[in-house]
Amino acid sequence: MEHLLNMFVKSIFVENVIFAFFLGMCSYLAISKKVKTATGLGIAVVFVMVMTTPINYLILNYMLREGALAWIHPSLASVDLTFLAFILFISTIAGAVQMVEMVVEKFSPSLYNALGIFLPLITVNCAILGTSLFMQEREYGFLETGVFSVGSGIGFFLAIVLLAAIRERLKYSKIPDGLQGLGIAMIVTGLMALAFLSFSGIQL
Amino acid sequence: MKILRNLIDKIKPNFVKGGKLEKWYPAFEAMETFLFSPGEVTTNKVHVRDAVDLKRTMITVVIAMIPTLLFGIWNVGYQHYLAYGMEMTHMDYFLFGLQKVVPIIVVSYSVGLGVEFIFAVVKGHAVSEGYLVTGLLIPLVLPVTIPLWMVALAAIFCTLMGKEIFGGTGMNFMNPALLARAFLFFAFPAFMSGDIWTDLSPESGQVILDAYSGATNLVAYDVNYQHIQSVSDMFFGFEQGSIGETSVLACLIGAFILVITGIGSWKIMVSVFAGAALMGLFFNGIAPVDDPTNYMHTPFYYHWLMGGFAFGAVYMATDPVTAAHTEKGKWVYGLLIGGLIVIIRAFNPAYPEAVMMVILLMNVHAPLIDHIVVQNHIKKRLRRAAQ
Repeated sequence: MEHLLNMFVKSIFVENVIFAFFLGMCSYLAISKKVKTATGLGIAVVFVMVMTTPINYLILNYMLREGALAWIHPSLASVDLTFLAFILFISTIAGAVQMVEMVVEKFSPSLYNALGIFLPLITVNCAILGTSLFMQEREYGFLETGVFSVGSGIGFFLAIVLLAAIRERLKYSKIPDGLQGLGIAMIVTGLMALAFLSFSGIQL
Repeated sequence: MKILRNLIDKIKPNFVKGGKLEKWYPAFEAMETFLFSPGEVTTNKVHVRDAVDLKRTMITVVIAMIPTLLFGIWNVGYQHYLAYGMEMTHMDYFLFGLQKVVPIIVVSYSVGLGVEFIFAVVKGHAVSEGYLVTGLLIPLVLPVTIPLWMVALAAIFCTLMGKEIFGGTGMNFMNPALLARAFLFFAFPAFMSGDIWTDLSPESGQVILDAYSGATNLVAYDVNYQHIQSVSDMFFGFEQGSIGETSVLACLIGAFILVITGIGSWKIMVSVFAGAALMGLFFNGIAPVDDPTNYMHTPFYYHWLMGGFAFGAVYMATDPVTAAHTEKGKWVYGLLIGGLIVIIRAFNPAYPEAVMMVILLMNVHAPLIDHIVVQNHIKKRLRRAAQ
């Protein structure tokens, strides 16, 4: 139990997908001009992450790993399909994104328009694929995978909403012309990552 | 005075529009208005007039920092002679401290203001007074043994990355002085932690006492909180630490000046202390009974007295630019700072001193806190209007 709690806190604050690994930067930088749209994208990412990582876990452990297919027939025990991991992971993610897109279009057309191309592009958001691949590489169990995906999702959500709030405030700053937009967002992200270092090394 | 005025009047034509040194006008203007009240009046529409301008505000904060600075200087000397086991007069303590601290202040001011001047000249705006405070805060949060070139590096980094890049004073979102300290902390960890808090430059014919330990109370506390100095020592500041942070009493005098003049927010100060007290009491409640040395047993007022807590709460958290701007937000902001400091002190062995990092972290969160407060307010007003 303590182990899971530790992992949850770690995946939000210490090993934040944005501030520690710099994954998913494209949508993070593009959809962080307003807190409202950033919140929308953040929730969508959390949803997709929480949906797909456990599904990918099941796919990986009951279909792909060496010996995983033994439940069909003992003669398949030596089959190793892990080379298919990337393509199958992306397919699940694409499916989940398709669902999110339909829901958002139906219930919040304004958010759908605000997110534009970046909503379908969640499919190729490296933070999401990254979470699935971390799950594979670190050999998490099912419960751990669930906790880890929720934590990573919240971490991304927190990062994008914080950046959006800061950028809303920076609207009143006199930023040099050459740094307007993405330039200053990169610098702000760096400074935020520095502040998030306060959690590194935390032991619950 | 007259000679100075005449001199300035004589060289002024060079700097105004059309003069030879027109480009340098911001630098000239900064010097002139620093020395004399400017004679120009506003030419456009009506202004609200008030005696408190940016210069006055900043100078008040600098005055509020004087008690911590003076005590810090004395304490540098005191700790130095204490390590050698020598009894000296207060004057000796003070002179030794002066000799060590003044160079740091000079470097911090000259380098930081240099960057400000360059930016002002290149961008053609007036030099702003914000650096007067930052330039004094940086020495106060550094250990006395820090090499001067590192002070210069930190001053450049924080002015450039922390402030000028966002457009100068009042436009940044992170406290520049803390950024300078964080920068040094992560870039040169060997110079920012360990046995560095007392200046041990050789004393003729004396050897360091066997009993000398270079650890601050926070490090001692991480091992076992009962091993630290007495409460009164920590309150008055006879302990090791960064130059300005040791004395809680001096910080409280500064807090009094800031609150009386209305420049520092009392809400933030009170809520930072309250947040730490609440979290401390909560930890006392859940601390394991069978382990009396567990740090969760620490009485909450120890957190107030140890390390830079008071200094951070009074001078750093109240920075009006980087703190939450809304009144409700200030309470949330302060409570979170206080609570997180205690959490990180208890659970994060990597940072026995959590104040710096937590305030930076909450600087990052302040805009979001403000956003939520404002949105809630809008919703409430809309509901009332709809009724």
